[in-house]
Amino acid sequence: MPMVLLDCDKDIPEREKHIYLKVEGEDTRDFLPISNATTIPGTLSERGCAFCGAKLVIGGVLKDTIQMIHGPIGCAYDTWHTKRYPTDNGHFNMKYVWSTDMKESHIVFGGEKRLEKSCHEAFDAMPDVKRMIIYTTCPTALIGDDIKAVAKKIMEARPDVDIFTVECPGFAGVSQSKGHHVLNIGWVNEKVGTMEPEITSPYTMNFIGDFNIQGDTQLLQKYWDKLGIQVISHFTGNANYDDLRMMHRAQLNVVNCARSTGYIANELKKRYGIPRLDIDSWGFSYMAEGIRKICAFFGIEEKGEALIAEEEAKWKPELDWYKERLQGTKMAIWTGGPRLWHWTKSVEDDLGVKVVAMSSKFGHQEDFEKVIARGEEGTYYIDDGNELEFFEIIDLVKPDVIFTGPRVGELVKKLHIPYVNGHGYHNGPYMGFEGFVKLARDMYNAVHNPLLKLAAHDIRGTSKTAIKEAAE
Amino acid sequence: MNEKIDQLYAYVQERCLWQFTSRTWDRQENIDGIFAKATELLTGKELTLDTPQDRLHYADAKVMVMDFKARFPWIEDVGPAQLREILQGVKDKVTDIAITSSKNHELNHSLY
Repeated sequence: MPMVLLDCDKDIPEREKHIYLKVEGEDTRDFLPISNATTIPGTLSERGCAFCGAKLVIGGVLKDTIQMIHGPIGCAYDTWHTKRYPTDNGHFNMKYVWSTDMKESHIVFGGEKRLEKSCHEAFDAMPDVKRMIIYTTCPTALIGDDIKAVAKKIMEARPDVDIFTVECPGFAGVSQSKGHHVLNIGWVNEKVGTMEPEITSPYTMNFIGDFNIQGDTQLLQKYWDKLGIQVISHFTGNANYDDLRMMHRAQLNVVNCARSTGYIANELKKRYGIPRLDIDSWGFSYMAEGIRKICAFFGIEEKGEALIAEEEAKWKPELDWYKERLQGTKMAIWTGGPRLWHWTKSVEDDLGVKVVAMSSKFGHQEDFEKVIARGEEGTYYIDDGNELEFFEIIDLVKPDVIFTGPRVGELVKKLHIPYVNGHGYHNGPYMGFEGFVKLARDMYNAVHNPLLKLAAHDIRGTSKTAIKEAAE
Repeated sequence: MNEKIDQLYAYVQERCLWQFTSRTWDRQENIDGIFAKATELLTGKELTLDTPQDRLHYADAKVMVMDFKARFPWIEDVGPAQLREILQGVKDKVTDIAITSSKNHELNHSLY
């Protein structure tokens, strides 16, 4: 089966190169969707922008850092609070948002003075905070504001502060993915190696590409503590700015989200000789495998086996309860990119769930190589899916539950198909053994929610049932 | 022989992230290093773990070999010479899909 041209795409036939249906006897040597490419005119893309990839995904997670967004207020608001990454210091990053609030006059006359004033105001208002990231946005990049020069002036005026700049306006790339790249490379170029850690264990690592969504980092940290492994830097879940300046001292880089952080892992390998170990942190089988690999690297296999046995004894009975009840459930995964390949086999093996369609907003072709290798035949693999395609795919595969973001989630809820937040989670964390039970619970509660049937009835009794199937 | 190669290859495709890193250079490095360590492990050869990269490849290979033994019991009955041939066959197939015949346009990009 070649690539698929959906009926809704008949006027934008280029979309055929982005949608693949896997069939027996084919692999990625035969077909591989085009991805990380410009959104095609005429399609209604679900993507965010490059600035969002830097700020919302990576930088904004830090727990001790002012995130100064040099642009109109919307750029700040729309990349704040939409992802739930708590911290152990009272959720500083989720409580506050900072913006230079650029208006027309600043665009006409230049915004550097306004940025400088805003930075000083922010540091004055929060005298205990000494770290800042300044982001440029589309308008301030277009007028050529030099944020590096402003950062330098601020640091000269305030010697106890350190500032990192991210010059990645929204238009800089085709999707969020460009923002990941810019922040990764900028950080390793400018900040890694500028501070030394206190080494407290013979085993040290960086855990890269985990953003503490609803506590993922904090859950996994319990494992590393039990194994006696010192995590020098979490990139960037529950992390301090200065932690990330010390990444060069770890013995091992463990990578979860290879899409958003593979760049810095590769650079740390090339520049500092730190090996890169890619693992999956979602699912029982994968988490156990990841722990085994980390422990084999450090030569502490017995500790690893003891931890796995303890966690499985504690959580496997609950997982099995859900597995019995979720067997055969049809799931769609419409998220950013990596969760497609992280989840497709783990939900199949650990929960008996069948993934019938997957769509990626910003994955590259390596993500599609991974997911097509792991995914089922008869499943659709979509790059940069649009709303009409989602409707058509739903008709084709009839999923019981869709893991996606709130925007698409609201859309599918109107079709009376339950959705679970695949980005920020419903009731996470979802990583690790305990986390995967929570994912199973949210999936079970979504699929078996009795309100779904009630919601399909028109209580006025004057019109037809909106979604007949759901009401039956 | 081919059937055995296909079984192990299907496992690698399904489980191993290291075959699909971002560029040709790191894919090749992983494939070479991990298959070398897997061969050492399966044929009882003395392991060389001199560098951090050696230990990384050992860690990936160890889990793969453990799964090979659990899923494909026939592997315990195969002699070292044939094992080397089988692993070479799997390595060739993985190299082909991940590098030689890959349709990934970013594989040989000099930057990221």
